[in-house]
Amino acid sequence: MYDDFANPWTIRLKWSYLLLVVVALLSPVFYIVYISFNEHGFSARIYEFTFDWYRVVLSDTILVSSLSWTVYLAVTAVAVTIPMALLSAKFYKRSRRKVAFVALMLSPLFVPADIMGSSLLVFFKNLSGAFSWLDSVLGVNWFDGWFDLGFLTALIGQIIYTHPYAFIVILITMSRYRNQQTEAARACGATAWQAFWQVEFPQIRVGVFSSCAFVTILSFNEAVRTALLKGGFDTFSNVLVAQMLNIGMSGESYAMAGIMSIVSITVIGSIIVYTLVRAERLERKARAMAEPVMSI
Amino acid sequence: MRNSSDTAVEVVDLGKNYGTVKALNAVSFTIDSGQYYALLGPSGGGKTTLLRLIGGFIQPTAGQVLLHGEDVSHLPPNKRPTSMVFQSYALFPHMNVERNVAYGLKLRKVPANEMRDKVDWMLSMVGLDGYNERMPHELSGGQQQRVQLARSLVLDADILLLDEPLAALDAKLRKDMCLELKRIQEKVGITFIHVTHNQEEALTVADRIAIIADGDLIEQGTARDIYETPRKRFTAGFIGDNNVLGGIVAGVSGERVTVDLDFAKVDIAAPGTTAAAGDQVSFSVRSELLRMVDPGQTADGAWQSVPATYLETIYLGLTTSHLVRLPDGSEVAARFVSSEDDIGSFETGQAVTIGWPSGRARLHVS
Repeated sequence: MYDDFANPWTIRLKWSYLLLVVVALLSPVFYIVYISFNEHGFSARIYEFTFDWYRVVLSDTILVSSLSWTVYLAVTAVAVTIPMALLSAKFYKRSRRKVAFVALMLSPLFVPADIMGSSLLVFFKNLSGAFSWLDSVLGVNWFDGWFDLGFLTALIGQIIYTHPYAFIVILITMSRYRNQQTEAARACGATAWQAFWQVEFPQIRVGVFSSCAFVTILSFNEAVRTALLKGGFDTFSNVLVAQMLNIGMSGESYAMAGIMSIVSITVIGSIIVYTLVRAERLERKARAMAEPVMSI
Repeated sequence: MRNSSDTAVEVVDLGKNYGTVKALNAVSFTIDSGQYYALLGPSGGGKTTLLRLIGGFIQPTAGQVLLHGEDVSHLPPNKRPTSMVFQSYALFPHMNVERNVAYGLKLRKVPANEMRDKVDWMLSMVGLDGYNERMPHELSGGQQQRVQLARSLVLDADILLLDEPLAALDAKLRKDMCLELKRIQEKVGITFIHVTHNQEEALTVADRIAIIADGDLIEQGTARDIYETPRKRFTAGFIGDNNVLGGIVAGVSGERVTVDLDFAKVDIAAPGTTAAAGDQVSFSVRSELLRMVDPGQTADGAWQSVPATYLETIYLGLTTSHLVRLPDGSEVAARFVSSEDDIGSFETGQAVTIGWPSGRARLHVS
């Protein structure tokens, strides 16, 4: 907020600074996207627009397979993590020991990714061994391969990693929600589920959708932990990094980075634009509905 | 709607504990159908807990809630014949007025035409014709409470619970809404249970008032009973502008009790009292019954009087209060309608005599 006596140059300076920060943060990303459309790649003197690098990426079976696997992981992580985070946020609101609850929920964030990944790796190896032992004791093979490294173990690691973020994002929007509205819905005859779905959810959905976007992006972003728990370096991020390390930045690498950047920016940008447009629409509607004040 | 002689609500030994904290201690009472019943008491006394137990928002630790004779203690709110108006923030902000009011009807799958007619009729009853398309944030506090009321009444529930519905409104609006609530209740004829800590609100709307404090039902009665003849010391201190004085019973003669205040003895009419000589008791006199005279003027037999020292006069608009200090250090107030305040002028520190009509003080043994 600025008061009426603020120096206009101070205001301009603040906005310029903000713009500079945003430009500094995003220009490398935009530059990579820009390069990814150049037929001659990075540091070429000529710029000729092309989709060829994207075509190459999408026709590369290893890349498409790693992309599909990561998309599958992201979708499953969203499907599992978001309801869990939502439940956690609801429990938090009812909880009497809020500080302890938040500390518990956020604790995975305080463990470095490599440590968490390797700890889970050891844990799953031991768990797998324990189940194999159980199978042999029982003379069955019911638990065979349950916790062998693969999709399930990578998913569990991803859930542990993304749950705190999703919890916080949902909690922020949920903090504005008054529980009396749920009670009012119940008093009108709604079941607990109807009260949640028809009254509470519409008011927290921005947070829920933001969390979905966040978990998706984190799933693409995560490299080390997923690689350790998947048992192979063939996730999309890992393939991208491996390519860069082995053959340097090729046109394909730029196109892959471009895909990730465009998806991330589109998702986050859409949420921001939707939120701003919705707020503006509501405000305009409120202005239109307001009674005029006439002079006397 | 049920027969007005039915008992709408029966609460039997109802108790609620939160961990080791007792919020409500084995409360029992009944409310007739079609009655406007107020639960009045200080904040934290347990009245909202009691209302929420009746509404099914919390489960009792002990006791039963019977609505129209059926035990509903185990039922959730949506399975009880009740509806509720909350203090504030309870309108659904993403729905306009029409959708808010129609919410319960929609859950009941009422046909669209019938639903629209009912919503319009109910909005007209609460004075909000034409507000169908407004969003909650475009309404004033009073209008929001009217929408809540319409949303509850449109369901034709037998019992409407109101949890401090006027607490968030300014004084003028609260007064108007009080009368409005009473008018609506008389029109729809259902049972209203209204929680409030505001005695004026309770006295304005209620057919009967229950005083709730420290998790107990202190006493209940009509507004006039509670105001004019409180049985318990707490009620006397809480309702009206009462002066409560303590003393020891010096003697009991028929239906009159003589109380020794240490600095004076006064006779109190106490029919059916259980007080005996030597008991510690208290009595209350409403401030508007007190009169102040010069010490030289002796009170006649129709008046009880005690010596006091004049302190100050406080002008309160409609009324004026004169504060005096008794010889034991306690302060009492004599209140007059300002336009009829003709007691003359007294100096601070001046000795005076205060008196009240015999038979108008109330003796409290508890």
